[in-house]
Order: sequence, then structure tokens, then C-alpha cells
Amino acid sequence: MIGRVRSRTSRSGIGIITIALPLTMFVILSFTASSFFTAQNLGNVGNQITALLIVSLGQLIVAVSGGVDLSVGSMLSLTSAIIVTFDPAIVIPLAIAAGCVLGAVNGLGVAVFGVHPLVMTLATATFVQGLTLLVSPVPGGVVAPAIEALAHGRLFGLQPSLYWCTAAILLCWLLLSRSAFGLRLYALGANPRNASLNGVKVVGPIIACYVLCSLAAVAAGIFLTARVSTGDPTIGAAFGLDSITAIALGGVQLSGGVGSVPGVILGVVTLGLATNGMNLLGVSPFLRMAATGLLLLGAVSLQRRKTIGV
Amino acid sequence: MTHSAGLEDRASGMKAGRELVRFEGVTKRFGANVALSDVSLTGLSGSVHAVTGENGAGKSTLMNLLAGVHQPSAGSIFLDGQPVVLDGPRAAHRAGVSTVYQELTLLPNLTAAENLYLGREPRRLGLVDRAAMRREARRVFSRLDMDLDPDTYCGDLTIAQQQMVEIAKGVAVEARVFIFDEPTAALNGPEIEKLERLILSLKRDGKLVFYISHRLDEIFRFCDTISVMKDGSHVATRPASELTRDMLVSLMVGRSLDRFFPHRGETGPDAVTAIDVRDLVPVEAAAPVSFALRRGEILGLTGLEGQGQREIIRAVAGQIAPVAGEVLRHARDGTSARLTPSPVAVARAGVGFVPEDRKSEGLFLPLAIERNIGVGMMRRSSIWSRARIDRNRLTGLLDSMNVRATGPRQEVQALSGGNQQKVLIGRWLAAGVDILLVEEPTRGVDVGAKSEIYMLLRAFADDGGAVLMTSSELSEHIGLCDRILVVREGRLVAEMPGAAATEETIMSSALTGAPFQSHAGAAA
Repeated sequence: MIGRVRSRTSRSGIGIITIALPLTMFVILSFTASSFFTAQNLGNVGNQITALLIVSLGQLIVAVSGGVDLSVGSMLSLTSAIIVTFDPAIVIPLAIAAGCVLGAVNGLGVAVFGVHPLVMTLATATFVQGLTLLVSPVPGGVVAPAIEALAHGRLFGLQPSLYWCTAAILLCWLLLSRSAFGLRLYALGANPRNASLNGVKVVGPIIACYVLCSLAAVAAGIFLTARVSTGDPTIGAAFGLDSITAIALGGVQLSGGVGSVPGVILGVVTLGLATNGMNLLGVSPFLRMAATGLLLLGAVSLQRRKTIGV
Repeated sequence: MTHSAGLEDRASGMKAGRELVRFEGVTKRFGANVALSDVSLTGLSGSVHAVTGENGAGKSTLMNLLAGVHQPSAGSIFLDGQPVVLDGPRAAHRAGVSTVYQELTLLPNLTAAENLYLGREPRRLGLVDRAAMRREARRVFSRLDMDLDPDTYCGDLTIAQQQMVEIAKGVAVEARVFIFDEPTAALNGPEIEKLERLILSLKRDGKLVFYISHRLDEIFRFCDTISVMKDGSHVATRPASELTRDMLVSLMVGRSLDRFFPHRGETGPDAVTAIDVRDLVPVEAAAPVSFALRRGEILGLTGLEGQGQREIIRAVAGQIAPVAGEVLRHARDGTSARLTPSPVAVARAGVGFVPEDRKSEGLFLPLAIERNIGVGMMRRSSIWSRARIDRNRLTGLLDSMNVRATGPRQEVQALSGGNQQKVLIGRWLAAGVDILLVEEPTRGVDVGAKSEIYMLLRAFADDGGAVLMTSSELSEHIGLCDRILVVREGRLVAEMPGAAATEETIMSSALTGAPFQSHAGAAA
């Protein structure tokens, strides 16, 4: 009975729809919205999706382990508030430290105390958002020029968003697809008990996932704040849901163990094009929000329990 | 049935190995519950060592200590004469102990090679060296004579292939001790033979194989040494050649094999039909099957694993909607009606279904015994009626079934497999059904409780009920059933009375598919 079988299982989660959706949107928008296929607009799309891509890659790491992190949006907002409130010399280390603490708390809650990731991160998201509004109750404030340069300076004449994206993609890909940590994470996401019986530690890697995810939100917060050149305590509000929608569109299975960096890039592009397209076509921003909710539902119901074995 | 001829052959091929594993005075407590008390046992290299006993006898606990899943409360474990502390699965792997669990532990989203090296991945520049991993996996697979692409995801492998990969994992780490926990539960005949060859090759390489099983046939077929556990204690370790089946069973339970199965039913060919299955096509592209289930009998559907028995019984039970055909149910009062293929309709018609996977399909594990049975008692009551459990009836039922529990309020998940099965059957008895469809009546049930479940089913049939069952254990069909239908590739290929059936006659029909001889004449 031992023989070769055609592979049906996949852990990238990329299916036909994952690839076809952004391509179709691109083609349709090129024809329907006259201002879409211009260097100006495409550069805009790139800038708009950079922060989402960074957050979504962090979300991917958590999702592969079988969790979800709703607190990324609040973390992003807190980063923004920190940058405009404290001494510019310490804001970045401070934001990174805050990210580590939030990630560690989320990870401890999930891995050690067994709190469901949704509940755990919803609680910390609310807590952190409150803290953010205490630090900086209203939008405004000045961003130090050195930090602004991170999103405006043009190294070798290229868009800074390109560097941010490349670095995030490369780091995340190395981690998930080439490191032992990544392999073990896929194992944990598929079945923590069996992974543990195979000698994989459970608690440490899960905490590490949440820390990495929070740090991704911090990075996105630095980029976004530098780009808009001012602070906003609610700038990250949409990122929790958006990042989950993006990874779901990218074929990542929210139950864990399935998902890949290329898939997430596709998902983020899909969501970015959808937002940009509706913008260009003059759709109301409220309707855009409703559409994001529908997209999440559609993406999740399309890929649910299809790619993993059994 | 005597096995002595085959046993002597094996015994003569047995080399005297040196001591590899020694448990010394090992005790394991879970809270107040003593799972193992003062067990001392020695395993030799180059030996296939059966560890057997009833469920709850402590054999799995003992092996879990060696696998690092649990740690002993007292006593010590020696590997190669050295005391070792196995404080986790990782430590056991490093010490050279490899375990093939009954529920396989491969990750479906990892490739065969990745599964083989999970937790100890070869590295290059800090990253996983995939080329080395693939190369090594190929080497191990070819050593085990497996034709398997290391890049196949394990989710795409058959159970047998997955088991091979589990064994390969142990071979890859040069494990010295292999633990097999009920490895044949999901395998068919040829796959079991392949497993036998693998186990014997491990033995030839001087490994120690601990083989946990309930199945006496396999114990005598594979093993040279047999250790029996009972109530957390080690009863005896003997060379297999010195034991017979009956001796082994009496060591396990203190009860001889001829009293293992109850008497047979008294149904003749003219008995009243309870269920008439007519040209039932359970799934797309299957052959139509027709048979009758009569009052007072236990009818077995047997065959090799995966030949369609499961689909037939599930189609009758309304668990799957059949493509064509019908199931007629003749009630005790003489009325007949067509069974609607839905679980609710079938249950309302007085037909109970006991699924093979009682934990996920049958019972409500976190709920109390009374509630699990109460569901059956309220089968006919309206959804708006008050949920009341008739306590006297419940207590009577639990007593009559000999359910061992602290009381009707105990959670079902805390019961042993045998008692869980009794609760599940009890639900239908409480519901007053007169037909039972039972899949694997004694899967994962210890020897003592097995016999009690057989009695229960027999008493049910004697009382005018009818039982249709499937089982992967041939001896169960032979010992328990009044009639046996052999299924091959979805067709009924033979029918034989249980009293006259032997493993040989069933296997020859199951393998070759001799034409179906209807002795019943009911279909005509």
C-alpha cells in the first residue's frame, strides 16, 4: 500500500481564488477607474498597504500558531501616541519595549493561563487603547524630523515603503519558511499536543509569536506616524480587523497550521486594491467598512477546513 | 484452537538478549488514584515484548513513563543499567525511546521528512537544512523498504503509511526501544503483515519492542515475551511459548475463555423479521445490498477494513443518506414502515445506533451519566416538556449493566472505556428501543468489560430485540453473532451461521469473494 500519492494537503493555503482575486481586481480597476493605473495612484496604494502588510505579517505568525491578535490596532495607536508625546531620543526604544510587554502579556495569557486568544487580545486591546488615550487624548503633536525621515527619505531614489515592505517580508519569510522556529510553529498550530509529543516546546514559541506580532504593530506604527507626520491615538483602530481580513484573503487558516508569506502579500494587495478601488469609484467610506466585513466572512467561509488534512 | 506449533518456531529463533530497560519498584499516582503500584519489569534487547492487561490495568501508564509523558511517583527506570530521568517526551527521544501512539502524532501540514526531523532539525547557518533533511529521510525510508516521497504532506498519507513514518522516526534517531500502542487498530490484513515484517526486522537489529495490545492473535503472532498487568500491578512475564490463549486470558482476568462469550440465540430461519434492507445503495457507485435482520438474533457485518460495512450500517442508521433503496422496519405490533434516512427519524422509530467513536459521536463527555442516559429516556417527550429523569429506573439500569462509577452524577469522561460503552448502550435501553445497530461494540474496552457487553447485547436479543453489528475483530463475530454476512467491495459475498464460522472461512470469503449464498430465503 506504500506508494506515491498526489499531494492534496498544502500549508501555504494559496488557492486559485487567492491569486485570481487581486489579478481580477487589478484588471477591472484599470478599465473602470481612469486614475487607477497611474504612477501616482499605484505609489499611493503602495504607501497605504505598507503598514497593513507589516501588521498582517505579524498577524500571520500568530495565526500559524493557531491564535489571533486583536490588539495590533491598539499597539499601533499607542506607538503613534508615544512618538509625539515623549523625548524623540527614547520614543522608539520605548515603543519597542511597550510592544514586548504587550506581546508577552498576550502570550502568557494564551499559552500559560489558557485564555482564548480572542478574549485575551480583546481585553489587552481595550486596555492599551485606553492607555493610549490617557497618554495622548487628541490627535496632533509633532514628529521629530529624524523619525519622519524613516518614511520620507528616499534612499537610492526608491520609495521608503519599498524598504519597509522588503525588510518585513524577508524577515517573516526567513522565520516561517526557513527556520526551525517556523517549522515548529506550523506543527504547534496544527496540533499542539502532538507537536509536544514530538518534542516541540509549546509555551515559549507561542509567547514569541505574540511578541513578534506586537513588534510588527510597533514597526507599522512608526512607519505610519512618520508618514502622516503627526500623532493620532486612534490611527490603528481598523488594523485589527483589516489584518485578519487580509490574511484570511491570503488563504491563512485561522485555526492554525496553514498560511504563508506569499499568501499574505496577495491578501494585503487584494484588500488594498479593494479599498483603493472603492475610493476611486467614490464609494462611501462607511460602505467600504461594511464591505471589509463581508470580505472577511467570504474569505473565511471559502477556505474553512479545506486545505489541512482529515 | 492451538498455537503451540507456531510458537515453538518463534521460541527457537529467540536470542538471549541483554537487559535494555528495567523498571524497578515503579509507582505512579494521579492524585489519590494509584495507577501503578510497585512495578518491576525487565525488557531485553532483540525482543518483542507484549504488555497486556485490561484497560486501566496500567500498561499504558507504564509505557507513558518510559515515553516521558508522565514521571514516576516512586521507583526508577534504568536504560542499559543506568538510572534515567525522563522528564518529558524530548528527554525520552534523546534517551533512545521511540513511541508509536495509537492516535498517530504526525502533523498533517508537515511533509514526511519534516515530521521525521521535527524538534531536531538539521541546521545550516542557523536555518533548517532542507536538503540534508530530505536526503536523510530518503535513506531511512529505503532502509525500511518504504517507497515514500519525503516531500509528501503527512495529511495525504494513509493510516498505514503514517504509522510507517512514525516507525521511521524512531529508526532515524537510532532508538533502542520502540513502544507500539495498539498499532493495528486501524490496519487491514496486508498492512498488518507489513507491520509484522517491520517489527521483526527491528527485533533482528537488536531493538526492544514493547507491544501494547488487547488482541490476543497478534500478541501470539508478533511477540516472544508477554507481560501481564492487572490493576496497576505486574502479574507475570513469561515467554510466549509457555502460554496459551486461555492461560493468558486467565492471567489477565482470572476467567477462562469459554465463558468469554455468552450462549447463542435460538432463532431459526422462520423468525420474525425486524429490519428488511432492500437494494440499499449506501454511497455513490456502491453495489445494492439486501438482507434481513431478525428478532432474537445478533447479525454481524464483517470483512476487511474499509470494504463498506461501515457505510451499510450507517445508511441503515440514517447517519448517511443512501443513494437508493429502502429500509423497512417491522414493529413488534406487526406494523411496518419505511425508515426515513435521518438520525432523528431512525431513533424515533425505536432503532438505536452505537457509533464506533463513542467519545466524539456518541457521548456527551463532560456531562453526568444520568444526563447521558436521560437523553434516551426523553426520546419521545416533546421539546417543551420538563426534563425529568426517572431515578429508580436509572439506578436499576446502571446496576443491571454493572456500570462501575461513583454514582449517576459522575462525568462520563471519567469512566473507563468499557463503562462508557455501557452508558451509551444504556441510553438506548432506557429509550426502549428494540433494535440496536452497533459499530465496534468493544473497541478500546478491556477484557472483563468486553464479556459484560457481550452479555448485555445477548440479553437484549433474547428479549426479542435484534442487533446488527460491525467489528474489526473476527473472533468477536464468531463468538457473538448468530449469523455473519461477509462484505467485500461493498457486496455481501457470503453468509454463514456464527456457530459454524471460523476465521479461515470468513477470511477466504472476505479475500476472494465467493458468491453470496443466501440461507435465509427471506429476500425471495
